[in-house]
Amino acid sequence: MRKHVKLWLVVAVVVALVAAGCSSDGSGSSRGASSTRTTTVSQLDGTINVSDAASLTEAFGKIGRDFTAANARATVTFNPGSSGTLALQIQQTNGAGIDTFASADEENMNKLVAARLIDGAPRIFAKNKLIIVTKPGNPKHVRTLADLAGLGTVSLCGPTVPCGTYAAQVLRAAGVTIPETKVTRGLDVKATLAAVTTGDADAAIVYVTDAATAGRTVGSVTIPDPQNAIATYPIATLRSSASRATSQAFIDYVMSSRGQATLRSFGFLAPS
Amino acid sequence: MSLAARIVLHLGSLDLDVELRADDGETVAILGPNGAGKTTLLRALAGLLAIDRGLIELDGTIVDDGARTFVPPEHRPIGVVFQDYLLFPHLSVLENVAFGLRSRGTRRGVARQAAAASLARSGLADRAGGKPHELSGGQAQRVALARATATEPRLLLLDEPLAALDQSARGAVRRDLRAQLASFAGMRLLVTHDPLDAAALADRLLILEHGRVVQTGTFADVSAKPRSPYVAELVGVSLLRGIARGDHVELPSGASLIVPDAGSGEVLAAVHPRSVSLHREQPTGSPRNVTMGRIDSIEQLGDRVRVRVAGAVPLVAEITPAAVLELELVEGTEVWTAVKATDVTVFPV
Amino acid sequence: MSRRGRRTPWLAVLVALIGFAFIALPIIGLVQQVPWRRLWTDLETPEATAALRLSLICSLWATALSVLFGVPLAWVLARVSFPGRSVVRAIVLLPLVVPPVVGGVGLFYAFGLQGLVGQYLYRWFDIQLTYSTAAVIMAETFVAMPFLVITVEAALRSMDRRYEDAAATLGAGPLTVARRVTLPMILPGLIAGAALAWARALGEFGATITFAGNIQGRTQTTPLAVYLLLQSKPEVAVGLSVVLLAVCVAVLALLRERWLGAG
Repeated sequence: MRKHVKLWLVVAVVVALVAAGCSSDGSGSSRGASSTRTTTVSQLDGTINVSDAASLTEAFGKIGRDFTAANARATVTFNPGSSGTLALQIQQTNGAGIDTFASADEENMNKLVAARLIDGAPRIFAKNKLIIVTKPGNPKHVRTLADLAGLGTVSLCGPTVPCGTYAAQVLRAAGVTIPETKVTRGLDVKATLAAVTTGDADAAIVYVTDAATAGRTVGSVTIPDPQNAIATYPIATLRSSASRATSQAFIDYVMSSRGQATLRSFGFLAPS
Repeated sequence: MSLAARIVLHLGSLDLDVELRADDGETVAILGPNGAGKTTLLRALAGLLAIDRGLIELDGTIVDDGARTFVPPEHRPIGVVFQDYLLFPHLSVLENVAFGLRSRGTRRGVARQAAAASLARSGLADRAGGKPHELSGGQAQRVALARATATEPRLLLLDEPLAALDQSARGAVRRDLRAQLASFAGMRLLVTHDPLDAAALADRLLILEHGRVVQTGTFADVSAKPRSPYVAELVGVSLLRGIARGDHVELPSGASLIVPDAGSGEVLAAVHPRSVSLHREQPTGSPRNVTMGRIDSIEQLGDRVRVRVAGAVPLVAEITPAAVLELELVEGTEVWTAVKATDVTVFPV
Repeated sequence: MSRRGRRTPWLAVLVALIGFAFIALPIIGLVQQVPWRRLWTDLETPEATAALRLSLICSLWATALSVLFGVPLAWVLARVSFPGRSVVRAIVLLPLVVPPVVGGVGLFYAFGLQGLVGQYLYRWFDIQLTYSTAAVIMAETFVAMPFLVITVEAALRSMDRRYEDAAATLGAGPLTVARRVTLPMILPGLIAGAALAWARALGEFGATITFAGNIQGRTQTTPLAVYLLLQSKPEVAVGLSVVLLAVCVAVLALLRERWLGAG
């Protein structure tokens, strides 16, 4: 019996030590000012990793390709997702591994600004509006937001995903309530769209740009401007970035006439 | 009421072709070496195996005809005591004994009462509530028998009922079993490899070797005229092959056995171990067959000792342990064997 | 229990400790993030209660269905020999290795409104499975049943079948033998399999969200709720996670060692 007690004591001590060692990391947002790295100016030969809102997937894909075409030694990789999840990841890791953040709303960007993870000031680079999408040919004859309440299943983004917050805003403005039992929540706008394109949902509220990309795989129903919400997209370089210059250059490209033209071609609205 | 069976069965490397019968109140022992097909035979009678050809008829009902008719075990009026008893470990001793009755439709209360009574008769009333793993070997054997007989089967099959016990327990349990079998009304078939079981429990023997019946008869019949080396070995009889020439039998070693009325031709000469006496010095006296040999092995069997003597006339002698000590017999000792001519049985091959 | 002459295998203990630490650390990491004071109020929010209730109901149903269909399936695989048996077994065990999302997609193509079977369910009976609680149960059963089948099949194969012979000779027909002898004897394995299946069902995410969607109160089980809550109210997410963890630990710890080993 004695030998067993000794064994368990050793186990307990080891586990406790290791746990203590890790607990100091806790809930990461406290060390914003830790990394001040110096970079040589104008060396656009870095690799940048851009965390971008899901709705930017296609547009940024093209912008990324154009950017690397123009700057041969630069590489851009993308990490798309729900702005909320991306912001959370950046907070938890103090931005490690990410150079640039492009959010679908200002709220998530402001969280990072407050946590002192952003280098300089974020810049608004695009705007977006919401639209209703349905199965091709609009078989359930959806004409207005009110019609959504009568459908079998409506796909909306999760309540804290930017497009979900905007959708809630829109529905409130229109005085429409869709019973929660009929709403399936997508983890990001692409998943929300997929519920209609490849799933059994009857309709979804997504960005105009997503409807454009989906093309003929969906039917679209416009939301009147007075009821619609305007999504504001900010972009910024993270303080933790090791290729700040390249990240800045990328942002400049996005803000340039070429970048803006690309965004426009995908359906985004001008930033101002 | 009887059992009549002709069983032809091919299983793996075993080729079984057996004819047997049994009657009410009779215990038949099936003896044979490992692999002879004893257990397969028993399983076929129980319905756990289907025969390829032949017929099994129990009390006039055909339970297996090797073709369209096959009555599964649950519908045969049988009871089986398995080699390691196979008492259901998750049921109490009482529920084990009541299992057969309940399976055949008796209500739980009634079945349990009958089971309790049966256990009481076997002197195991105090064990009724416990689990099988709490029983000793002998107790488990009695419970297994009680379980098998609870439904009053017509045919009781026992597969090596004492094999799971150690030597010291066997004697007592064997005596017990003898009494219980005697009080069982139907037919009893017992599979064993131990000749003592056969001697003590059986009315009739059936010797099985390589799937065939080699000999049947009472223990006395078989001991007196064993038909194969295995049987002879089994019953301890020395079997010597030779050529009979009127008043003696010539053995291959050159030596001869004096036997009155030996006949002529190829014969088997059988000598029971009890007819063989051992001497340290050449004896004189009436026994006509006195030969020298060397002790090959000494084996204790219960309260007797079997001494195997090698030589011109190889024999097995059965003497008391006291005699072994007195004569200071060990392996390798030179001894004289003496057998009366009238104690040698000769029969043609 | 350690007698003289039985030495502790220190090398094995050392390596085992590392393995254990690897599993224990994320759990410790979670537990030490729980805002214990707010935990109860956090869990009383409508999202949390709905998620917990759904998880409990659906996982229990999934376990029941896994047992109902899994035991006969295991029986056939263990006892009946037929051509292609190993292929059938491989298919039955596929959900163990296939990514759950892929399973969800498969379920969708089988039972969605345009699905292989789903289209007829809708056309003839006006039944839509997607976005329903039934779909959650289906998704969870899909991933959980293989655990039960594999455990029960092993138990059936390792059991001494002569007990069934004995029962037959006593007059028990096949159903009675199954009910009074076989099932009680494989019960430890069955319980272990059911516990594993239940734990797996409880934690299911990918197949659920793909096939049943993410509807609060109807298909948003705890894992789905945790994912969404992580963005907005991480403390509630952690609280929920820890509740799930605690329940699983309790059940698995209650499973007696001999059941997890022997079967």
